Amino acid sequence: MTQGERRAGAERLERIIGRVLRAGVTTSSVCLAVGLLWAMAAETSSMPRLLMQTGIIVLLATPVARVVVSVAEYVVERDWPFATLTAIVLLELLASAVAALLFNRRL
Amino acid sequence: MPAVTPALAAIIFTAGAVSGTLGALLGLGGGVFLVPFLNLVLGFPFGVAAAISLTTVIATSSTVSAGRAGRQLINMRLGMLLEVATAGGSFLGGITAHLVAQSVLQRLFGIVAAVVAIIMLTRLRRRNVILDPAAEPGVLGGRYYEDESRTRVTYRVRRLPVAIGASFLAGNVSSLLGIGGGIIKVPILNAWCGIPLRAAAATSAFMIGVTATAGGVIYYGRGQIVPTLAAAAVLGVQIGSWGGMRFGAAASAKWLKILMAAVLFVVSAMMFARGGR
Repeated sequence: MTQGERRAGAERLERIIGRVLRAGVTTSSVCLAVGLLWAMAAETSSMPRLLMQTGIIVLLATPVARVVVSVAEYVVERDWPFATLTAIVLLELLASAVAALLFNRRL
Repeated sequence: MPAVTPALAAIIFTAGAVSGTLGALLGLGGGVFLVPFLNLVLGFPFGVAAAISLTTVIATSSTVSAGRAGRQLINMRLGMLLEVATAGGSFLGGITAHLVAQSVLQRLFGIVAAVVAIIMLTRLRRRNVILDPAAEPGVLGGRYYEDESRTRVTYRVRRLPVAIGASFLAGNVSSLLGIGGGIIKVPILNAWCGIPLRAAAATSAFMIGVTATAGGVIYYGRGQIVPTLAAAAVLGVQIGSWGGMRFGAAASAKWLKILMAAVLFVVSAMMFARGGR
């Protein structure tokens, strides 16, 4: 891989990551804002809580999506050292999700 | 735990906005201010304060990094390499958080924060940049346009094992104390690894989303992310970090360092006061 190719790949990845992060954070903020205002206005409905839960899950999923996109991009570029590193990060995040499920069952 | 009223939501929203602004200015997650506020001032259990703070750290990271993407200030390759260490540290911290005495962690954090502040103050004038535009940054180094000197600056990464060790420690502290971990990474990357403060802060802000998620997911599983509190804090931090990002581009690196050191001393004193109880 030449220096120029690597730089073009890095710039494309940076743009894609920017889009993923913006989409995730916008979706979750809208869910949280609507849910919060709704909950403050009407305490009896269960919809606002559901909206806020959705917002939190989207927020937690956004960095995971960013890592998934990075793994895919490095695989496409055949940049194996970085494909491996980002795949390890993804596995660590999955390990956290498994730990969360275990804690959830215990509680 | 206090009941969640509209007034409390408004207070948490405001606290989030202040933390977000300071966090964006300093390249920290902002959790360093939010955790003591939620725990000491509002009286929430430490676990809940840490969980809420981690949620806001993720939001700050995503917002700040989305805004900076395409400007080459974030060193993505270095960030992704160091994330292996931060996410691992954060995962371990997340599963051990409920086993370690909180007072021990608080005192340890107080010591670390004070040491890092002293390092920052002794290295105010270091620049870590190679002004020759033809210089090679290497595989992990970077190049970006610096507003202050109006040139493209290049830097190389030195002492990679130190950066990896600091990242593991930062990830660990992140999920144990509910902060982003930038408070540990940024000064070390800047002082010992040759990375300019601006690039270190941008790369750290990029990484802390993944770091905080590794810990945050575990807190979520324990049911400690209270939706209403998280919503109010996250929205406040979103607005604050947006404001801080605007202001941060204009502030000089020297003043950022002095401000950061002052903040670290205050945080250190607060941690000692709490840990001694």
